[in-house]
Amino acid sequence: MKSLLRIARDMLAAEPKAFLRGAILGVTVLAMGAALLGLSGWFVTACAMAGIAGIGIDFDFFRPSAGVRLLALGRAGARYGERMLTHDATLRALSALRLRLYRGVARLPFEAQNRLRGAEALNRLTSDVDALDGLLLRLLIPVATVLTVLAVSFVTLWFLVAPAVAWSVTLAYLAGGTLALIVTARRAHGAAEAAETALQSLRARTLDMAQSRADLTVAGALLRQRSGIGAAVAAEVTARNRMEAADRAGGFALSLTTGIAAAAALLSGGMLAQAGTITPAEAAIGFFVAMALGEGPALLRRGLTELGRMQVAARRVTALCDTPVRPEPASAPAREGSAPLLVAQGLTHRRAGSARATFGPLDLTLTAGETVLISGPSGAGKSTLLSVLSGLIPATSGTIALEGRPLADWPEAALRSTMTLLPQRSALIGGTVAENLALALPAERLRPAPESRSTPPEARFSDPDRVWQILDALELGEVLRRREGLATVLGPGGSGLSGGQSRRLVLARALLREPDILLLDEPSEGLDPDTAAAVLGALRTLLPEAGIILVSHRPADRAFADREIAVARS
Amino acid sequence: MTTSAKTARPRPTPQDAALRALAAPIRRPLSRAGSLSALAELIWAAQSALVAWCIDGLVSPGHFAPTPLMAAAGFLALVVLRVFLERLSTAMAQRAANGLVAETRARLIDRAARLDARARRPAPAELASLAAEKTAMLAPWAARYAPAMTRVRIVPLVLIAMTAWFSWAAAVVLLVAGPLIPVFMALVGIAAKESSERQMAEVGTLNTLLVDRIAALADLRLLGAETRAAESLASASDRLRERTMRVLAIAFLSSTVLELFSAIGVAMVAVYTGFVLLGEIHFGTWGVPLSTGAGVFILMIAPEFFQPLRDLAAAWHDRASAMAVADEIAATEATIAGSGEILGTGGAAPSLPRAPFIWSGLRVRPGPGAAPLSLPDGGVAPGEALGISGPSGAGKTTLLSTLAGLIHPEAGEIRWGETLLDAGTADAIRAGIGWLPQSPRFVDAPLAEALTLGREGDLTAALAAAQAEDIVAALPGGLQAHLGDLGGGVSGGEARRLMIARAIHSQAALVLADEPTSDLDPETAAAVLSGLMTLKARGAALIVASHDPAVLAAMDRVIAVEGETAR
Repeated sequence: MKSLLRIARDMLAAEPKAFLRGAILGVTVLAMGAALLGLSGWFVTACAMAGIAGIGIDFDFFRPSAGVRLLALGRAGARYGERMLTHDATLRALSALRLRLYRGVARLPFEAQNRLRGAEALNRLTSDVDALDGLLLRLLIPVATVLTVLAVSFVTLWFLVAPAVAWSVTLAYLAGGTLALIVTARRAHGAAEAAETALQSLRARTLDMAQSRADLTVAGALLRQRSGIGAAVAAEVTARNRMEAADRAGGFALSLTTGIAAAAALLSGGMLAQAGTITPAEAAIGFFVAMALGEGPALLRRGLTELGRMQVAARRVTALCDTPVRPEPASAPAREGSAPLLVAQGLTHRRAGSARATFGPLDLTLTAGETVLISGPSGAGKSTLLSVLSGLIPATSGTIALEGRPLADWPEAALRSTMTLLPQRSALIGGTVAENLALALPAERLRPAPESRSTPPEARFSDPDRVWQILDALELGEVLRRREGLATVLGPGGSGLSGGQSRRLVLARALLREPDILLLDEPSEGLDPDTAAAVLGALRTLLPEAGIILVSHRPADRAFADREIAVARS
Repeated sequence: MTTSAKTARPRPTPQDAALRALAAPIRRPLSRAGSLSALAELIWAAQSALVAWCIDGLVSPGHFAPTPLMAAAGFLALVVLRVFLERLSTAMAQRAANGLVAETRARLIDRAARLDARARRPAPAELASLAAEKTAMLAPWAARYAPAMTRVRIVPLVLIAMTAWFSWAAAVVLLVAGPLIPVFMALVGIAAKESSERQMAEVGTLNTLLVDRIAALADLRLLGAETRAAESLASASDRLRERTMRVLAIAFLSSTVLELFSAIGVAMVAVYTGFVLLGEIHFGTWGVPLSTGAGVFILMIAPEFFQPLRDLAAAWHDRASAMAVADEIAATEATIAGSGEILGTGGAAPSLPRAPFIWSGLRVRPGPGAAPLSLPDGGVAPGEALGISGPSGAGKTTLLSTLAGLIHPEAGEIRWGETLLDAGTADAIRAGIGWLPQSPRFVDAPLAEALTLGREGDLTAALAAAQAEDIVAALPGGLQAHLGDLGGGVSGGEARRLMIARAIHSQAALVLADEPTSDLDPETAAAVLSGLMTLKARGAALIVASHDPAVLAAMDRVIAVEGETAR
C-alpha cells in the first residue's frame, strides 16, 4: 500500500492543477446529481401538498422546475469536462511515470538490464504501468470527490432538512464506504498477485511449448508440458475467482451502504415529518439526496476491483524507479599524453555463483591507430571481455587503465565519449534512421529538432556530409537512398531492415561518435564476405587515429588486424 | 492490440458470429445471470412503491400508509434482497466468464500442441499472447455486457408499463427519451467503437516506445544517449497524448449524449408530475387525478428506466474487444485445423529394444500446399552413423522431422526393427530417439529440468560423458540456472554440447542431429562432433544432416537429399 501511495503522490505532483480542476468538476457532477434528485423529490412532494391544500395558484413552480432542467443540463456538461480533464492529466502523469521507470532501469547494473530485455520481463513491465492508470482516475479522485460531496451534503441537509437527517446519511456512507475499502484492499491483494503470476506462467509455458514443440515431442514430454499449462490455466481461474469474490464482497458492502443511508434518511426524516418538525417535502429531500449520493460509491467500485492488481504493480514499479544512482567520479581526468589508449593487466572475470572463470588472466595494450583482433572459440568469454573493458561489468581481478587513468576514475559521460562498444546484439529503436543516428551524437553535433515535417532530416545534423560519408562507406547509402534516405522509418526494435543492414546501421551509429577507442563484437556477423571486407576496410579509412579492438571468429577478419590476441576456453 | 484477421476479410455473417459461437456453451448460465440481475433491478420498483406510499401518508395523514419506521425497515429488507440477488447474478456471470476463458485457452493449446513440424503459424509469440492476455478479454464481455443486454430487454419495458399504469404522458416522455438513446448510441457508438480501438492502439504505441528503449538501454548507455533517449521518449509520449485526447473527446461525447438524455428524461418526468399534482396540468393520467404516492413512485422509477442502457454503454468497449478476440481465435483455430498433426501423443512411453531403423519410399510435402518431395531411402543399424548431405532447402530437416514422427508422410514407411511408425507406435519409437535441433532452445525452467524433461537418469554422468561439466560450472547457479528467453549466457556451441548431454542422459538408441556445427568456429565444431562420436561409441545410431565436410567425413555412410519433386 505504501508504494501505491507513493506513486499516487508522484502522479499528483506531476499535474496538480489539472487533477484539482478535474476533481472540482467531479464534485460538481456528483453534487448536481444529488441536488437534481433532491430538488425533484422536494418539488413533486411540495406540489402534491400545495395541490391538496388548494394553493396551487400561489405555488412558485417556475424557479424549481427551471432549476431541475438547469441541473440536468449542467450535470452532463460538467461530467464531460471532468472526464476530459482527468484523462488528460492521467495521461500526462503516466508519461512521467514511464519516464521515471525508464530512468530507473537505466541506472540498473548492465547484467540486470540484460535480464529485463526478455519479452516476458518487458511484458510484465508494461502491464504493470497499464495497471496503474486507474489509480487516480478510478480510485483516489473518486474517494476525494465522494468525501467532499459528503461534507457539502452534510451542511446542506443540516440547514435545508434537519441535523438528524444530515448525521444519519453522512455517518452511514462514511462507515460503510471505509469498511468496503478496507475489506477489499485486504482480500484482493493476494489473489490479484496470484492471478498475475499464473497468467505470466501460462504465457511463458505456452511460448515454450510452441517454440520447443519438436523437442518436447521427441522427448515424450509434450503431454507433460501440456498438463503444466493446464495447471497454470486452472491456477489463473482459481485466483481470478477468488479475486472477484473479494470484489463482489466489496460491491455488496457498497450497495448495502447506499441502502442503509437511504433507509436512515427515510426513517429520521419521516419521523420528524410525523412530529411536524419538518414538512414531508423536506423529508423527501433527505431521502432522495441519500439515494443520489449512491452514485459516489458506484464510481469507486471499479477502482476497488483493480486495487489488488495496482498494489502488486506499484511495488514492482516503485522498486525499479528507486534504483540507486550509479556511483560516479566527480570530474573528468586529464589525459596523460604519453600513455597508451588502453592497458589491461591480469584481467579476469568470474560470474557470481559460478565455479569457473569466464576468461583470464589476460594482458592487453592498445595504442592509437592500432587494430587488435581478439579470437577464440565460442564460450571463451570474448564478449564478456569487451563488456569488462568498457566498464559495463566489473572485473573480478586485474586493472584497466584508459589513457593512463584507472577506468573507475572516469565519469560515465567522459568514458562513453572516449570509448564506444558495439555489442553483438545491438538494438535499434522504432523511428526514422535519422533519429536512430542522432542518438549517437552529443548535443553540440546536432541541430534543434525540426519543427515541420517538410524539413529534410539532414538538418538535424551539424555535419550531414559526414553522416552520408559513413553510410556510403558501409555500403548502406544506396540502400537508404532507394528508400526515403534518412527519413526511412523503422518499426519497433528497428524492424524493416535486413539483418545485415541493421548490423551496418548500428555500426554507422558507433562510427559517427568518432571515439578514440572502438570495441566491436562480431561486426561482420550476418554480412556476406564481400560486404564484410568492405565494411572492415572502411573502419580504418573513417577513423584513422582510433584504437580498434575487434572480436571475431571469422578467419577472414584477421587480414584487418595488426595483432591478434587469442583467448582460450579456461 | 486488435486482430489482423479482423481487418483482413469482409464478414458475410453477423458481426459477432464468432463471439456467439465461442460463447455458446455458457449461453444458459449467462442468460440466467442476466434474468436474475433484471429481477434484482426490478425490486427497486417495490422499494419505490413502499417509499412513495409512506410519503403519501405523510402528506395526507388521513390515508392508510406505512409509518416511516415500517417503510424504512421494509425498504432495508428489500435492499438486502436486491443486493444479494445482484451479488448472486454477478457471481454466476463471472464464474461462467472465467470458465469460458479457461476452456477457450485449453482448447486452443490442445490444438496447437499437436501441430506438426511444418507449421509456421500461429507464431509462438502470437499463440502465447492469444492464449494469455487476449483470451482474457472475453471475460468482461461475458460478465458485464451479456447480463446488461438481458437487462435492457426486460427492465425498461416493465418500468414503462408501470409508469403508463398511472400516467401515459410520463410514459411517453420516457418512451421518447429512451429509444432516442439507442439511436444516438448507434450513431455515436460506431464512432466510439472506432475511436476506442484507435485509442487502444495509441496506448499500445506508448508501451512500444518504452519497451523499445528499455530493450535498447545497453546500447543507449554505450552511445551516451540515455538522457537524450529519455527526452525523445518524453516528447513522443506528449505527441501521442495529444492525439489520444482528440480521440477521447469524441468517445466521451457519446456517453455525454446518453447521460444528457437520461437526465433530461428524469427532469421532464419530475416537472410534469409536479405540475399534475399541483393541478396545473390535467391530461395524461387516464382522467383520474394522480395521487401523491403515484407521483413520487413515477419519479423514483424514472432513473432506473435509463440505468440498463447506461450499463450497456459502459460495457460497449468490452463487446468490441471480445469480438476482435473471438475473430482472432476463430482464425487461429482455422489455421491450425488446416495444418498437419504429429503422429502419436507426444507423451512418455516405454522404449523399444535396439534395432535397425529403416525407411523407404518416403514422399513428404515440405509445407502446406507445396508439391511432395521424394526422399531417399536409408537406414542405420545400432552403433552406425549416417550422414545426410544436400544443399540447403533440399529437405534434410523435413526428412529428420518425418523420421521422428513429427510429420505425416504422403507415402512410404519407416520401421524400427519390425515395428512400423504410425500413430499407435510413434511414442514408443520416439522414446528411443534423441533430438538435436539446429537452433537449440531450452524451456524456461532450471537447467536440470530443461535437460531431463522429466526423465529418470544420471544427469551428472551424462554431462561428464559429453564433456559439458565446465559449461554448467560457469553458469551462475549451475544446474539451477534458467536459460530462458535470451539463452541466458551459453553460446551456440555450448548449447549444442548441452543438447548432446541431454541425448546421452535419455539413453537414446538413435540420435537425429540437424546441422550440429552450423555457425560454429572450427574448434567448437570439433568439440560438438567429438560429442556426437561419444554417443556413437556408446552404441547409439546417428543420423546427422549437415553440409559441413568435416562432419560428413566422420560418418560411416552418407546419402544425399536432392530435393526432387515427386511426380
